[in-house]
Amino acid sequence: MSKRVVIADDADFHRTVLKDILTKGGFDVVAEAANGEEAVSRARALRPDIVILDIVMPLMNGIEAAREIRLLEPPVKIIMCTSLGYEPIVEEALKSGACAYIVKPLSEKKVLAVLDGLKD
Amino acid sequence: MDTSKYKALYLQETNTHLSGIEAGLLDLEKGSLSEVDNLFRHYHSIKGMSASMGYEPLKVLSHAEEDLLDRIRSKSLAPAPEIITTLFECLDTLKALVRLVEEDKPLDLDVSPLISRVRALSEGKQTPVPAQAPHETPVSAQAQAAPAGAELRISNVMKVEGRVFDELLTTVGDLFMALSSFKELSQRSRSIELKDGVHLLGKSVNALHKNILSARMLPIRDLTESLPRVVRDISGKAGKDVGLKIEGTEISLDRSILEDLGSPLVHIIRNAVDHGIETPSVRESAGKPRAGTITLSAYARRDRAVIEISDDGRGIDPEKIKMKAVEKGADPRKVAAMTRKESLMLVCLPGLTSAETVTETSGRGVGMDIVKAVVEGLGGALEIESEPGKGTTIRMELPRTTSIVKTLLVTAGSEQFLFPITKIERVIELSGEAPASIEYAGCKVPVVDLALLIGLSVSVPARSSTIVIVEREQEGPERGFVGFMVDDFGVELDAYIKPLLPPMSRLWGVAGITIMGDGRPVFLLDIPQILSRAANRLSS
Repeated sequence: MSKRVVIADDADFHRTVLKDILTKGGFDVVAEAANGEEAVSRARALRPDIVILDIVMPLMNGIEAAREIRLLEPPVKIIMCTSLGYEPIVEEALKSGACAYIVKPLSEKKVLAVLDGLKD
Repeated sequence: MDTSKYKALYLQETNTHLSGIEAGLLDLEKGSLSEVDNLFRHYHSIKGMSASMGYEPLKVLSHAEEDLLDRIRSKSLAPAPEIITTLFECLDTLKALVRLVEEDKPLDLDVSPLISRVRALSEGKQTPVPAQAPHETPVSAQAQAAPAGAELRISNVMKVEGRVFDELLTTVGDLFMALSSFKELSQRSRSIELKDGVHLLGKSVNALHKNILSARMLPIRDLTESLPRVVRDISGKAGKDVGLKIEGTEISLDRSILEDLGSPLVHIIRNAVDHGIETPSVRESAGKPRAGTITLSAYARRDRAVIEISDDGRGIDPEKIKMKAVEKGADPRKVAAMTRKESLMLVCLPGLTSAETVTETSGRGVGMDIVKAVVEGLGGALEIESEPGKGTTIRMELPRTTSIVKTLLVTAGSEQFLFPITKIERVIELSGEAPASIEYAGCKVPVVDLALLIGLSVSVPARSSTIVIVEREQEGPERGFVGFMVDDFGVELDAYIKPLLPPMSRLWGVAGITIMGDGRPVFLLDIPQILSRAANRLSS
């Protein structure tokens, strides 16, 4: 069965690009969220295998969202999505429960390489 | 990666951010730092999207600006006038660049002089702002020059009758239903062309829907503009001195929702003036300022809008309300068992009033039944808080847009239902039959069989069960939940919900209906109703 993914990014643009890449790569994007709060509630309700979180988002940022999502049972894999210039924050993100990260700009190769690298 | 198909979306979002930057800079110029976080995010988003699209000049310029804003945000740099002037200049250049993208022209503007100025400012260096007219700034003349006759251009803003948008929205609703049949078909099909086509069609229908919804949005301000006058007139008649404070009215709501809120708002304000706020002499002897204050504040809570109307008047005495309710024929045992919150809600019973004198314009309670009905009819919720002697707050939580609801499809018994996603706390799958209660978030959560609760015949005992946990409102700081046992759940669904018309609207437990891809109608559950029946079952 294909893996279920929730994607969170405040830009519809990035969500759309990401969703297209993931769908093409055989993943099932079960929900999109436009801020951290939405990401947490979707992750709770839909129990995806993977959540991809943008860091800079309104209401609740990706790091705060990751801290909430990592508490869920069964565990959800968290991937952070950062922009260039934000590499230093990646460490904080990994501490907050993320297991991998993608640096924007998004490309099919980059995204699928990170997702395929996830251990089950 | 072929990025061209994302261009329209890029332009749409970037333009929103550019307007946001303009408003944010004007704010910053006035000395306010409240919008700095948003301002920062606008630059950040433009940078990220431009990078993905490969628009280098846009990326590097917005990146430099993002760094500058980050320094202002962290208060290591003050927004000096030369910084704001430079940011405005950069904004014009960003706009010019976006226009070039829109026109499919090469992005051949030299942004390096601007970038070095922005960087110097970030480092705290003073840079003289070149004393040039805008058309002499290092931006190509082609992108900046306004065509002759620009003074006489027709405005970009059009007046359109509201009815046109109502019709457009209905059409999009029909499109959504047609689309779901295609989606269903494409899922079963092996044809890539069909899948791609349906995917594209879905995107366009979504974009269309989004645009129509945003065109229908109006700020609450449009409704509250005439309230100061209303308060002035009513308080004059009642011989009271009342001031009105209005906050947060830039938040916008769908026109149809806003329209329906007019008379409830006036009812609430009238009640507050007539029965909440005391006369100046009574206030004075209670140690309050002679003039009473009514505060209307609006804010967003997730995807919903909250409008709060508070007064600093005498408040509502729950005991008095209870007595009145019993006098009017309510069951005394039920009334006695009511919580504080529940007894305050008694003011929404038709014909109930706690004021000793009924005035010309209102009695506390007159109209509150109508207010509650209107708010709930819009898919919202009404809450009352009051403290005797201190005042009353009436809170209306409302959806901001109509019709499309994010839902989870569940199967219970032989039927399918939709749960509004915003009401779901968590979904849990267990092996074996569902227990009578489960542990969640440190609480004991009772589990109720949804099919039994609705009155459906129950299917054979399942080998695994799914429990949808919903939060229930209760007194005190502790949270309470109810788990609904269902047979199965599907994915998140954007459902176009049609309201139920009489006699269907009298059906218990359902709030709307949608037509699925295969033509089957599915009901949207009315969570407050379901919760209250569940609570009754559990207590009996």
